[in-house]
Amino acid sequence: MFSEVISNLSLGLSIAASPEGLLFLLLGAFVGMIVGLFPGFGPAAGIAVLLPLTFGLDPTTAIIMLAGIYYGSMYGGTITSILINTPGESATVASTLDGYPLAQKGRAGPALVMQAIASFFGGTIGVLLITALAPSLANFASKFGPSEYFLIIAIGLLMLTTMMGDNKFKGFISALIGFAVGSVGVDVMSGQQRFTFGSPELIGGVYFVAVAIGLFGIGELLHCILNGQHRQPAEKLRISFRDKEFWPTRKDYAESKFTFFRGSAIGFLAGVLPGSGATLGSIIGYSVEKKVAKDPENFGKGEMRGLVAPEAANNAASAGAMVPLLSLGIPGSGATAVLLGAFMMWGLQPGPLLIVNDPGFVWGLIASMYLGNMILIALSIFAIPLFVKFLDIPYLHVVPVIVLLCVIGAFAINASIVETWILVFSGAVGFAMKKFGYSPAATVLALVLGSMAEETFLQSYIISQGTLSVFWERPVSLVLSIILLCIVLAPLIFKLGQRFFGKSVKHLAHQK
Amino acid sequence: MKKWFAGALLLVALGYTIYGTSTLTLYTQSGRPAAGFFPLMIGFLLVVSCSINLWFDIREWFQERTSGSGHTHQPEPAAEGTAEALGLDTHTIDGGQEHARDVVIVFAYICGFVAALKIVGALLAMVAFMLAFLFTFDRSRPVTNILYSLALPGFLYWLFKILLNASLPLSPLGF
Repeated sequence: MFSEVISNLSLGLSIAASPEGLLFLLLGAFVGMIVGLFPGFGPAAGIAVLLPLTFGLDPTTAIIMLAGIYYGSMYGGTITSILINTPGESATVASTLDGYPLAQKGRAGPALVMQAIASFFGGTIGVLLITALAPSLANFASKFGPSEYFLIIAIGLLMLTTMMGDNKFKGFISALIGFAVGSVGVDVMSGQQRFTFGSPELIGGVYFVAVAIGLFGIGELLHCILNGQHRQPAEKLRISFRDKEFWPTRKDYAESKFTFFRGSAIGFLAGVLPGSGATLGSIIGYSVEKKVAKDPENFGKGEMRGLVAPEAANNAASAGAMVPLLSLGIPGSGATAVLLGAFMMWGLQPGPLLIVNDPGFVWGLIASMYLGNMILIALSIFAIPLFVKFLDIPYLHVVPVIVLLCVIGAFAINASIVETWILVFSGAVGFAMKKFGYSPAATVLALVLGSMAEETFLQSYIISQGTLSVFWERPVSLVLSIILLCIVLAPLIFKLGQRFFGKSVKHLAHQK
Repeated sequence: MKKWFAGALLLVALGYTIYGTSTLTLYTQSGRPAAGFFPLMIGFLLVVSCSINLWFDIREWFQERTSGSGHTHQPEPAAEGTAEALGLDTHTIDGGQEHARDVVIVFAYICGFVAALKIVGALLAMVAFMLAFLFTFDRSRPVTNILYSLALPGFLYWLFKILLNASLPLSPLGF
């Protein structure tokens, strides 16, 4: 088993460490860090917008570059969290809590270096766990039938929508919208056209890339404009790694030594669970660190452990999110949904058989994550002054770059003006969804998984002759059905319990 | 606006379901589910959930109206949730004052840009979009705006058309 992993990793390294692989990995990591710097523009938007730029590459190199953008944005997002108290993306929100106070205390340099080390630590532990877990999970999943797949898709979508705080119901509607859009085109089972309105452009379905770029790219951009980012002056910051105060002290390392492990483990678990992802992982990582600390009162006032924990967690989570994607073919977040769409675009069918059928691709990607983390820690420390310079660019000048990349990219895919209009329409819908509390990520996830969900559901329906008994007759299906029921019922029971016990407590208080 | 968006979603859901049931077959002759089976399930769930959603939004709007506490700023829901979990002010994540007029202007420019693609070609459409955008929001630096409006489209045209050999619409002049 161990020797097999080593030989597979060697194969992966021979692919990822080729001059072309390294070049595009470096490019992806660099661009990802810049994507992470701009508030409101997360990894999903970054990957979607830059996807058309990878069309000229071979699939493995393209995915390596896109994966570089994905985890690069996790590193980059923290720079603004620490320096200007503005998280580059939601997974780095928790890093503002102690990162910004550290900068205010004049410890921006040590904070930036420690976040880079924590990110490297979290990312590397995450990749080590992927190396160990992905093949075993894929092996286990190869025995799955359609009922298990349908249930996993349903669990993933439900968890994504239930993790959205007060907007669970709108998240559910968002997923249904994705399924509805995914049903446009020719039905794979009967060959009948659905919702094409006689248009030859829609026979192949609504192209996922245009929708993803619109929802994430244009939608996010319009939302940033609504918040007035284009009218804010650029931040003028200067930082140099030649400064004496730039490097962390021995005390910083000594105090954080266990935090690296705790944050990474929590983050990885959060990443593997569909729907929870890096944001939740970093928040839980921070909360747990504060709980186990002997001096919780120092958290929020510039405590290094309060920065290390969420940083290790969000990078481990972004690695963890690759486990269900690579072994089951089921993404758990908006960013991995876009990556799945990219896999499909290159004719790769993610799932348990991907590791068997295309080991070069899977192990090349995993090996690129090891290399990517090494590149990113070097970039994060030695190129900080350069990345800080990017913050000098006013958002007003970033807007045209995004719009031009989105529109030209969407057109260039199939030279289709209809798809370009779909992008514009999706942009307007994405903006409204963000503004009114819906979930564009759930829509993209459902759109990408729509055909798989339909196929597996209908197969399960036919196998069980319309009774759907296959969902509880097979042991794995039964376990998954119970998990699904728990996800649906737990919030309702919790709410009812709260109402009942809340009333009792009030009643008792009143009696007293 | 929230309730109007919810209303529009309900209308689309109704249209999807009615059009689907009238044009698609639900079961094959042998009794197996056909092309319309899954869309009908989705349509049914969409109609029910969008109706409930519209009801919630109208109730919320009505409550705000009667209490006179209408929101001037609708924070980003994800940011709102995260901020709540962390005990932060949402505005630190999400910004403050809204610029709805600017959103309408930018969106109109994007529509104009896409409409112009096939007429004047990608390069000229990009330049026109950038000039319109930059001179609308920043007139204080005309030279920078012009140079930037020529440089960025030029670079992207070179990247997509020449380096990546992508198919971009050409102008009547052939570029």
